[in-house]
Amino acid sequence: MIQKNFTDEELKVVEVLKQVPDPEVGVNIVDLGLVYTVIKDDEKKTLTVDVTLSTPGCPVGDTIIQHIQTILEVTYPEYNVTVNLVWEPQWTPDMITEQGQMELNQ
Amino acid sequence: MQAGLSTKNAPSIWVVAPHFLLGPVSFLLASLYLLANYGALLGYHINAPILTVLHLMILGWVTMIIFGALYQLIPVVMEVKLFSETLAYITLAGFVSGLFFLIAAFMGYEFQLTNNFVIGGTLIIVAVLVFTVNTLITALKSEKKNVSKLYIVSSTIYLLLTVMMGLFIVLNLKYAWLPKAHTEFLETHVVIGLVGWFLMLVIGVAATLMPMFLIVHKTRKDFLRWGFYLINAGVITIFAITFINQVPVIVSFIAYLLILSGLVLFLLFNYDVFSHRMRKKLDVGMRLSAIALVILSLSVISFILVYFGNSTLGFPAGRVEIMAGLLLVYGFFTGLILGQTYKTLPFIIWLFYYQKLVGRQKTPLPADLYSDRLATIHMYSFALSVLLFVAGLLFSLEVLLELGAVAMVFTSIVYGVNVYRMIFHKKQIIK
Repeated sequence: MIQKNFTDEELKVVEVLKQVPDPEVGVNIVDLGLVYTVIKDDEKKTLTVDVTLSTPGCPVGDTIIQHIQTILEVTYPEYNVTVNLVWEPQWTPDMITEQGQMELNQ
Repeated sequence: MQAGLSTKNAPSIWVVAPHFLLGPVSFLLASLYLLANYGALLGYHINAPILTVLHLMILGWVTMIIFGALYQLIPVVMEVKLFSETLAYITLAGFVSGLFFLIAAFMGYEFQLTNNFVIGGTLIIVAVLVFTVNTLITALKSEKKNVSKLYIVSSTIYLLLTVMMGLFIVLNLKYAWLPKAHTEFLETHVVIGLVGWFLMLVIGVAATLMPMFLIVHKTRKDFLRWGFYLINAGVITIFAITFINQVPVIVSFIAYLLILSGLVLFLLFNYDVFSHRMRKKLDVGMRLSAIALVILSLSVISFILVYFGNSTLGFPAGRVEIMAGLLLVYGFFTGLILGQTYKTLPFIIWLFYYQKLVGRQKTPLPADLYSDRLATIHMYSFALSVLLFVAGLLFSLEVLLELGAVAMVFTSIVYGVNVYRMIFHKKQIIK
């Protein structure tokens, strides 16, 4: 599932995730369309992120996952962070944002 | 561990890096040897300097780098860990020592069997056998079924066949056990080595990497599947008819046509990938790869010309063969390796130094580990050297061949400096 609407708090999380680049292309994972959902539950103090990769064999895949996990734990130390790697729906290049497309070709 | 991730399948840096340390040395030595013997390019294609440079390039440079790169790429393509790193070290040791004897044998080659041939050939066969076993067991462990795997597995079997045939050919110089003239076996040795091993492997790896690097999702995999059948049919036919007497010429003509058709399909696959790419701007690694693919097209044309014969085209004997071989081995394989080095090696080095730091500290990206400027410089010097060689061969001008060899030496040095900078990278933290 790809989340369409984010709360203001969740948008702040998305902004944090923009600090995580795909090491191969140098563009952040949000603009590459790799972040599918961000759920921030302030009562339960949980932060759950669903992300995908551009290809299952991505050689730096778990480094990206580790980067997301670490940066969220550092930014939200009081939250229990879960990063799920999902393959449905399959990522396609159409999911890259306009900003991402611009950065890809800079 | 999350399913589908391959970083944890990545091999140790110590398995990959030695190949990238040794490969550029062979490239440099081959370039220097060619510079000292560039006049041999204007002679018949079977002579000691050409055979020395060819084997140094094919085994010491291209195969060496391919071995190292494959240990890194197998986890990406097959999504499984390499079966044994120990076997990889055994392969490397046998291969390097065998190469030493083999090159010594070719440097003094006078169409006679020497001990250096026997020792070198045997060591290389053992090394390749170990490599083949390692690759095949790895492939068997992988549940992934894709066209890349098909090509890679087939290519390793052809590699084994190539080196075995090579040894049989030199043994034949003394024992004369082959049923036909050894030159016919030589032709098969070349076809299986260049097409069965190198091209099949390159196609297999490119099938995964090209769309990954250029960000393309829907690719013409059907081109590659058909190419697989066509190329295999051609190579197997060439191999089979070597052992049969009085086969009509049309059979080998059809076999070469099948191989060429497969190659054209591979070129069309790449054209499709390049034209549908999301990543419009190409980095230096992909620009070099694109140049290599253009040179492959020229090489295909040259191989077609080989069939018409030198005398028909007004060239001395062996000239078109040398041009086709040079375009393929130096132009295509070397160009592709020069480019793909920047798409593979930086990652394993980067993972080694920075994997544990991501998210905690700001780290450089893999592309920051090499000099883009140096890579661009050797891209131009490489293209220039290919042009000079081709012009020198077409117009029989030694001075152009000498300049081409100088540009090749320069390319190998600049490339080597950039690769060694990566391998001996010092960890940096960006503040």
